[in-house]
Amino acid sequence: MDFNFNEEQRILIDTARRFFEKETPKSLVRELIHDTKGYSPPVWQKMGELGWMGLAFDEEYDGYGGSFLEVAIIFEEMGRAAVPTPFFSTVVLGGFLLQDSGSVELKQKYLSKIAGGRCISTLALVGKAGIYSKGEVSLEAKPVGDYYRLDGSAFFVPYAHMADNIICAARTPSANGEGVTLFIVDGKAEGFEVIPLKTISGEGIDCVVNLKGVKATPEQIIGEPGKGWECIERLWPKIAVALSCECVGGMKKVMELTIAHVNERVQFGKPLSALQVVQHMCAEMFIKSETSRHAAYHAAWLISEGLPCEKEAAIAKAWCGEAFKDVTKIAHQLTGGIGFTEEFDLHLYTKNAKKLELLFGDGAFHRNMVADRVGL
Amino acid sequence: MDFKLTEKQKQFREEVRDFLKAEMARGIYLFGGVHLAGNLSKEFSKEIARKGWIGLAWPKEYGGQGLGYTDRIIMLEEMFRVGAPMAYHYMGDRQVGPGLIHFGSDFLKREFLPKILNADACFALLFSEPEAGSDLANCKTTAVEEGDHFIINGQKIWTSGGHYAEFGWVLVKTNFDPNVSRYKSFSEVIVEMKMPGVTIRPIINMVGAHSFNEVFFDNVKVGKEYLVGKKDNGFPQIMTNLDYERAGIDRLMQNYRVKEVLLEYVKTNKRNGQPLSKDPLIRDTVAKIVVEYEVARLFVYYVASLLDQGKIPSFEAAMGKTVCTLFEARLADVATTLMGLPGLIMPGSPEALFDGVVCESYLWSPSYTLQGGTVEVLKNIIAQRGLKIGGK
Repeated sequence: MDFNFNEEQRILIDTARRFFEKETPKSLVRELIHDTKGYSPPVWQKMGELGWMGLAFDEEYDGYGGSFLEVAIIFEEMGRAAVPTPFFSTVVLGGFLLQDSGSVELKQKYLSKIAGGRCISTLALVGKAGIYSKGEVSLEAKPVGDYYRLDGSAFFVPYAHMADNIICAARTPSANGEGVTLFIVDGKAEGFEVIPLKTISGEGIDCVVNLKGVKATPEQIIGEPGKGWECIERLWPKIAVALSCECVGGMKKVMELTIAHVNERVQFGKPLSALQVVQHMCAEMFIKSETSRHAAYHAAWLISEGLPCEKEAAIAKAWCGEAFKDVTKIAHQLTGGIGFTEEFDLHLYTKNAKKLELLFGDGAFHRNMVADRVGL
Repeated sequence: MDFKLTEKQKQFREEVRDFLKAEMARGIYLFGGVHLAGNLSKEFSKEIARKGWIGLAWPKEYGGQGLGYTDRIIMLEEMFRVGAPMAYHYMGDRQVGPGLIHFGSDFLKREFLPKILNADACFALLFSEPEAGSDLANCKTTAVEEGDHFIINGQKIWTSGGHYAEFGWVLVKTNFDPNVSRYKSFSEVIVEMKMPGVTIRPIINMVGAHSFNEVFFDNVKVGKEYLVGKKDNGFPQIMTNLDYERAGIDRLMQNYRVKEVLLEYVKTNKRNGQPLSKDPLIRDTVAKIVVEYEVARLFVYYVASLLDQGKIPSFEAAMGKTVCTLFEARLADVATTLMGLPGLIMPGSPEALFDGVVCESYLWSPSYTLQGGTVEVLKNIIAQRGLKIGGK
């Protein structure tokens, strides 16, 4: 077994780290949290110029034909930078969904734009209960003549207010019982009302989307009618692992800034790091970040090899989501008052960690998947 | 990155599985134990030796197979899966052999490596003392030079397998200059356990088992050729040995059977007419065990991959052992609780489920986070060597 990145991947890590350090200082991150757009268009444009949105997509759709591992690396570095961008919603929720389940026509129309960094995509999946299950899909699509009429509300739709297209998961009646169908709809289409939410991680990122009579044609359907949830399930490992990698980047950075603090901060006439209880708490953070790193990249590698990965992806998200949060808790205990201030960077990660723990299913949700996979 | 096992490794796993299946079918040896040290059969170890599976990861020039540590983990995984009786050759294979290959004289290599490889020598490790547990450098047992001999006096404790081992790998104090650091005051020697002056007294543990011992040395005379490595260099040598010990899969896998029966139990039993496995709380509890197990297992393979790259894992091995040992300590607790009252029945009792293995494992569990370095000592290592904080 080889747990190491190859030369190209190491270069990508280095490039991405330097890019985010230079382009997304924490002063910008702080601004973006209160920004109505929720992201920085110049940074997004530069990410596009670097080709990152197209890393893993086929060359015929303007991608670079790379693997999911490269995408995973970008997620780790974004997690480290704690910078909000529409990368997850566009590349994973939009791009991979289209790549894995979309028709050639839809890929030609949308995937090329995504891969080229020329659009923002998102997915309207869950209702206001915020539960990720087929039965909780709350948009409805009714066939009216030769088109569908979409109504209802979707919740926690990232960057819906900035999106060029919104993939809507809607319940559709069908001959053999009700199913979910995925429609890709122009973000500016008539009938959309988009309201940004002020959430734990920002004011211009996640939105409520209210649909009133949005029109969609059968040509806008991703996958087969009534089989949309199966497409979501196929996409799930990529969602889980992308977010896991973001957690890994976040927790490594939290560990670094905490260790810097305990080395500098003097109490009882010596640095905090001279205290064994502090050393053990730091060791605990290190254990969590190292085990998370391997769990996340193992699953990312399985995805990139096209091997079965459902169980490992669920393990990664269950482990990394909780680990990141736990690491921020240890960090708060060790950084004391300064760690509780707006001025110190830790809170940026604390907020992301809580969000990443819950986004697209928490630990219990993914452990339930693991239970399925081991025959419980 | 490549997490695939090679075709050869996959075949090797199959070969080990087939071998074990055949051995179990013969019904001669006792399989299924959850404690390595109590699982002893020289004859079974001979079978392993005939397969060439002792010294699997040792270099060929020393009679090993020259295979990797990953191969060794694969083999051990299969052995632990069925609770194979490996105690006779285990210490020699895991620690003594690699220690001798690293530090031993040609004489010691010639003398002991073939014996270990052929399952003709069982080793015990004699490090801890009554006043030297986590603080190993506080050992008091002395080895005083006298001509071409050392004269050893003192007491060791917690010696697993001391009552059946033929040889002991002993940490002794050899430098008595108070100005010399205590970390440069120790040496390692090999002692025959049946030598005059060696007294072994059993310690019965809280499980009711005799797995470890007190060992007393009273003017035991050992030839200087049995000194391992350099005189006064024993402490750094032992730290390296411990890195090998902690790099293993032992702590994750010794209770593998408990994990298996836990899954079987919740799949096959009902409460109030509902299968246990459909109860959300039970599902989550068991899935937590599965997640923790898989995360720890991956980490063990990571540490093995470091060894295969020629690196000696230090904080990584400590980290691996921490994760494995915490898992193992939790496993029996979860299993007994989920089984409820039937989980309290000991081996040999009527109505014991799965031979009482779950209850027995619970009683063993306080020892897991102690042996081979407590979790606290391991965290010191992780902080000091891995994060470069604290330290001396």
